[in-house]
Amino acid sequence: MLPAVALVKQVPDRNSAFRLAGDWIDESSLGYGMSDYDRSAVEAVLALRDAGLVSETAVVTAGPDEASQVLRTCLAMGADRGVHLVCDRRALADPFPVARALADAVRDLNPAVVTAGLVTEDSAHGQVGGLVAGLLGWSWASAVTAIRLREDVVEAERELENNRTAVVELRLPAVLAVQTGINTPRYASLRGIMASRRKPVRRVEPPTLRTPPEAAGLRRLTLRRPDRSAGAEILEGAPETVAEALVERIRSGAGIAFRGRGR
Amino acid sequence: MSRRVLVLAERDGRGVAEITFELLEAAARLAEDPSGVFVALPAADADEAEAAADGLPAAEILGVCGPALAAYSADGYAEAILQAREAAGAHCVLLPHTSIGWDTAPLAAARSGAAAATGATGLRWTDEGLFVSRKAFSGKFVQEVLLPGLPAVATVERGTFPARISGGAASFRVLPCRVRPEDLRSRLLEVREVESAGEVDLPAAEVVVAAGRGMGGPENLPLLEELAQALGGVVGASRAVTDAGWLPHDRQIGSSGATVSPKLYLACGISGAIQHLVGMRGARFVVAINKDPDAPIFGAADLGVVGDALEVLPALNEAIRKAR
Ligand SMILES: Cc1cc2nc3c(=O)[nH]c(=O)nc-3n(C[C@H](O)[C@H](O)[C@H](O)COP(=O)(O)OP(=O)(O)OC[C@H]3O[C@@H](n4cnc5c(N)ncnc54)[C@H](O)[C@@H]3O)c2cc1C
Ligand SMILES: Nc1ncnc2c1ncn2[C@@H]1O[C@H](COP(=O)(O)O)[C@@H](O)[C@H]1O
Repeated sequence: MLPAVALVKQVPDRNSAFRLAGDWIDESSLGYGMSDYDRSAVEAVLALRDAGLVSETAVVTAGPDEASQVLRTCLAMGADRGVHLVCDRRALADPFPVARALADAVRDLNPAVVTAGLVTEDSAHGQVGGLVAGLLGWSWASAVTAIRLREDVVEAERELENNRTAVVELRLPAVLAVQTGINTPRYASLRGIMASRRKPVRRVEPPTLRTPPEAAGLRRLTLRRPDRSAGAEILEGAPETVAEALVERIRSGAGIAFRGRGR
Repeated sequence: MSRRVLVLAERDGRGVAEITFELLEAAARLAEDPSGVFVALPAADADEAEAAADGLPAAEILGVCGPALAAYSADGYAEAILQAREAAGAHCVLLPHTSIGWDTAPLAAARSGAAAATGATGLRWTDEGLFVSRKAFSGKFVQEVLLPGLPAVATVERGTFPARISGGAASFRVLPCRVRPEDLRSRLLEVREVESAGEVDLPAAEVVVAAGRGMGGPENLPLLEELAQALGGVVGASRAVTDAGWLPHDRQIGSSGATVSPKLYLACGISGAIQHLVGMRGARFVVAINKDPDAPIFGAADLGVVGDALEVLPALNEAIRKAR
């Protein structure tokens, strides 16, 4: 039986203060964690292992030293081992070299199935899983909402537009980018946290992630605030004041009448 | 000849999908000359491709044909794009940012040796290459990125460009697909409609009060039920809310949920991710309550309240009680 691998990225916590420093994000104002997509990717491989369909589960991340935190979270959830591709956070801006390094690490683990998140909550490329599949010549499906692993194929459901779902059959090995809602990710138990301390994490420094960003395929990445010229008129004040103004504007702006007490 | 831009045509049940015409407009602008616009049209055979090609505003339509392309598969479509790209000598490849385009793009990109830029909301060509604008950090920022390599591959968000209706006297060429069905690693078994429980009729609602993750938990949703009652509307939700099981899936609004077009849309604790916004673009009057002044939802609203929904909503319910 072969193992399963989940790819996880340490991303800024949703509740961080997102500020710009020049034309890039002010990293000093960010807290970090794991995204909902990646939690679901990890849960998916744990479920395969718990069902006895894969031998064990490994989690792989590329990122700076602090990114070992997300591996620890995964191990505490129940993953068996971790691989940390250590690199500067700036080296993560271009998905291609990241995918190349991840592909090398994944190939060494010889899995039946690899899961990734559909997109990251930071740069939202939605590509790393597909690039890994493309580089390895493995099967690929994105927006996966169900996984059924069989002997030498995996059947996956893909979310399409307009409330349609595609059912696809993929040869193994396959890389699957999971959509949120595919499962309910488990939390780490206290026992899981204790056990995680004894689980192995291998550190690798991939030479390809030492490449200066300028040599990469995506260059000159900058960030700016979206143009808000067409944005909302903002109501200010105490909740009661705002509420009264809202009532007025809902009547006049939207032409809505309020339902009487009779109901 | 100047720049050559290749567009992947997407088809739906009725023919070539609307978004293809938006991509053709993008391609015409990038190519600067209608003679530089090419289409890759994967199809089972030449007849099917030629029928679908009819009327497409492009210089040349490359029907990549073979039984391997009778149905969508990521590896089959990636191959079709590569074949068409070589035949067209394209400098740039545009795919729709749809479940077909974003699925195919990384496989095509892996073979070109550079990442694609996904979810483009703006494109411009410079001496250095293609500059792409896209949303990042859940829509809080616009990211701009340069793709210096050729071909530059990008997926383009729906609604970014107007649809191109005419232009270019298309010639049609068949490229026999290089891969056979047995070469493909993935196979489409079926496409299903997801049944909705149909408890509420979101698309028909005149007022939609929508819950986001910022509502904090299912225990706070009665605030919205009360408001919806008073306004004669229904309660909808963001995906974060339905994924978490606070409300059933059929309440979800957005690209993978319902499309609504009410007179009034009240977004409560919703950040305004693009996949949510596409489901409520048709609303006539949008009110957003969010504690983050930088939340993207304010860019899509007429009226905003920066504040805690759990304080504003009780006050609003009270004010409505008084007003009627
Ligand atoms: C392929 C694909 C399809 C998708 N389809 C859909 C779809 O159909 N529909 C959809 O909605 N999403 C969809 N998504 C997900 C989408 O990208 C977002 O993740 C989702 O819309 C976020 O939901 P949210 O705004 O409720 O949560 P969040 O993004 O977490 O936002 C919560 C907001 O609440 C605010 N907040 C927090 N506390 C309070 C408070 N007390 N008072 C007021 N405000 C508060 C925060 O400032 C924040 O802005 C899809 C994603 C993908 C990749
Ligand atoms: N640095 C990384 N390390 C490990 N996995 C990653 C990394 N970046 C992206 N991934 C995986 O690829 C998915 C999609 O990322 P992206 O293409 O950046 O949107 C993520 O949800 C992860 O599963």
